[in-house]
Amino acid sequence: MAVLTAGEEHSGSRAAPRTRKRATRVPPVVIAFVLVPLLAEAFWVFWPALQGFYLSLTSWDGVSAPRFVGLGNFQEMLHDATFRTALLDTVLWLVLFGGLSAVLGLGAALLLQQERRGVGFYRAALFLPVVFSLVATALVWQALYQPDGMINRVLGGVGLGGLEHAWLADQDTALYAVIVPALWRQIGYVMVLYIAGLKGIDPVLYEAAKVDGATLWQQFRNVTLPQLRSVNAVVLSVIIIDSLRSFDVVWSLTRGGPYHSSELLSTYMYSTAFQSLRLGYGSALAVVIFVLAFGVIASYLVRAFKEAD
Amino acid sequence: MITPDPSRRRFLAGIGALSTAALASGCVTSTSSSGKGASSSGPVTLQSNLSAPQAKTAMEKLVEAYGKTGKGTASLNTIAAETFRTQLPTYLTSGNPPDVYTWYPGSVADAYASKNLLLDLGDVWQDSPDLAKYSAAHKKLCTSRTGKKVFVPTSYYWWGMFYLKSNFAKWGVDEPKTWDDFLDVCDKLKSKGVAPIGNGMGGDTAWIGSGWFDYLNIRVNGAGYHRDLLAGRHRFDDPEVRRVFDRWKEALPYFDKDGTAIPFQDATTKLLQGKTGMMLVGTFFADSAPKGALDDIDFFGFPVIDPKVPLAQEAPVDGYFASAHTHRKDGVKKLMTYLATAEAQEIYLRNSSGTALPTHPDAKDSGTALVKKGRELVAAAADITQFFNRDSSDAMQPAADNALTKFFAEPAKIGSILTSWQRDAEKVWGK
Repeated sequence: MAVLTAGEEHSGSRAAPRTRKRATRVPPVVIAFVLVPLLAEAFWVFWPALQGFYLSLTSWDGVSAPRFVGLGNFQEMLHDATFRTALLDTVLWLVLFGGLSAVLGLGAALLLQQERRGVGFYRAALFLPVVFSLVATALVWQALYQPDGMINRVLGGVGLGGLEHAWLADQDTALYAVIVPALWRQIGYVMVLYIAGLKGIDPVLYEAAKVDGATLWQQFRNVTLPQLRSVNAVVLSVIIIDSLRSFDVVWSLTRGGPYHSSELLSTYMYSTAFQSLRLGYGSALAVVIFVLAFGVIASYLVRAFKEAD
Repeated sequence: MITPDPSRRRFLAGIGALSTAALASGCVTSTSSSGKGASSSGPVTLQSNLSAPQAKTAMEKLVEAYGKTGKGTASLNTIAAETFRTQLPTYLTSGNPPDVYTWYPGSVADAYASKNLLLDLGDVWQDSPDLAKYSAAHKKLCTSRTGKKVFVPTSYYWWGMFYLKSNFAKWGVDEPKTWDDFLDVCDKLKSKGVAPIGNGMGGDTAWIGSGWFDYLNIRVNGAGYHRDLLAGRHRFDDPEVRRVFDRWKEALPYFDKDGTAIPFQDATTKLLQGKTGMMLVGTFFADSAPKGALDDIDFFGFPVIDPKVPLAQEAPVDGYFASAHTHRKDGVKKLMTYLATAEAQEIYLRNSSGTALPTHPDAKDSGTALVKKGRELVAAAADITQFFNRDSSDAMQPAADNALTKFFAEPAKIGSILTSWQRDAEKVWGK
């Protein structure tokens, strides 16, 4: 409405003064539609977030009044071996879960982008895990990973009994065992994003490349990848956010154990806050997660926009 | 210009009011509110963590029976145990809380009582003819450090080494009394291709391992030392604690190798299938056993390690406490008085798996041989402990789970395990 009246003003019509007068009077209902959600957002999102920042500077057991400790919680983190494990595991998770879901998602999209007979079935099959809740997914995988579960039985059945393992109860395998169901679910999601991106590429580009004698790899390297740049930005953001907030699948399968070997920052935050009832330290961990997520994504987006300019 | 119609204006005003209410409810860290306007009439709300099917039904029957007495009414909210545990501080600090809660007496209740979050049940204890009959041990357990009665106990159960009678007969072994006898039995079972000791420390029941720690500690160092250790008055890296693990190492080769990968419910199944020989657990495991299998189940008390140490048993008590912020004090007290009666406890036991014991001395238990033996075990005990988290605090349990699962994986590293356990404990006590 404001844009419209500005245009009318430039046109210099005789009705301009009257229109300007009307433009300054924004209907109260419009103001309400802006202010009310803002107010709601402020009190239900920004205010609790600010409280989280405040709590990270306190020592609080959830019952007594919080005690202000300044940066004490962050100092404690520097000497906290479990925090270091959780941070390393989170980085490992980001690289393995994020990297593999991007690569495998793109691979699946390349395989399944062309309309062939039965391709819909494969797409649906790969996308199906996305539909299930991660907690339900975790329960299914928990059954598979049991000492007498299907994975060990299959291994025994094909003569690889030596590899049978308590997958989730061994510190050497727990983290990787948890990544698999998370990947199983994420690949379908990333695939759909990439298929949408691939469909948007103009086929003329490939025809031109073929005329120039480009191999399949050269077509992928010089046509597909550059054309997918905008999708990549979306996928990367989604993957980083999903990696840093990964919680449900780890919590359902191992609760960060055995003895912190599959601990992520998110599970460590939860167990510190709600199991050990150290809500101040838990809030400090939440702040670290926020800074990491925000930092990684913001720096990437700034770079991406600079390149686009 | 479109004039908003009155109904839309009212809608917007409503949204505005909601936001203001959110502002008024204010700081998440505020620990109480005036609670003005909260209803003081209506049924007493009873928040229950007993979500296993049999226990849940038993609670429903109990609440129904209370309604029929005409003394008052209660409404039951059954919450998943883990959610209940993490939400309990929030319930208790809320301005308009649920009134009565299923929970544990002793150290865990006292922690809330010391923060003035629990209702003083002194007059219930004084006026109830039923509570007057309760044992001195129960009276003491329900009294906070400041001398207030804050808890009404209604049932208890015992921990023991459970096994199948038919299997022990088949394998030709008897109940061991001493630690050496116990290791002999383990040897025999192992030679027959059975994993002698079942364990269920996987999934979300890592705390099962704390039963072993509790018993070994009360057999080696005594119940007094154990309680002091759990209350932060000794260190986990003390030589006394080290001795506990030296004993544990002797039994370690006999544990089921999958024991740290499966939850106790699956470990129960393995015991009933005869894949493991025996298992240290509380009677609650019966909730996940088929009723028909219970006849073949028997148990023996944890073996004696040092005859000089008085024989204590682990017998956790369950019951109820109420929020200090309740708006229905009279209703709460009437309900508590009812819960303490023999009649109420019998209703609960009849409808649950029936392996618990009532705290009322006149209330009838399920009368099975197993329960009779359990009652005798507890009655003969020189001292009673509750369980790791109850004698210590819920916040300490994750540190124990961590240390004990690590001990199973790398027993040789017990020195560093105890050092980090002590470090974790200091963080919890110093929070």
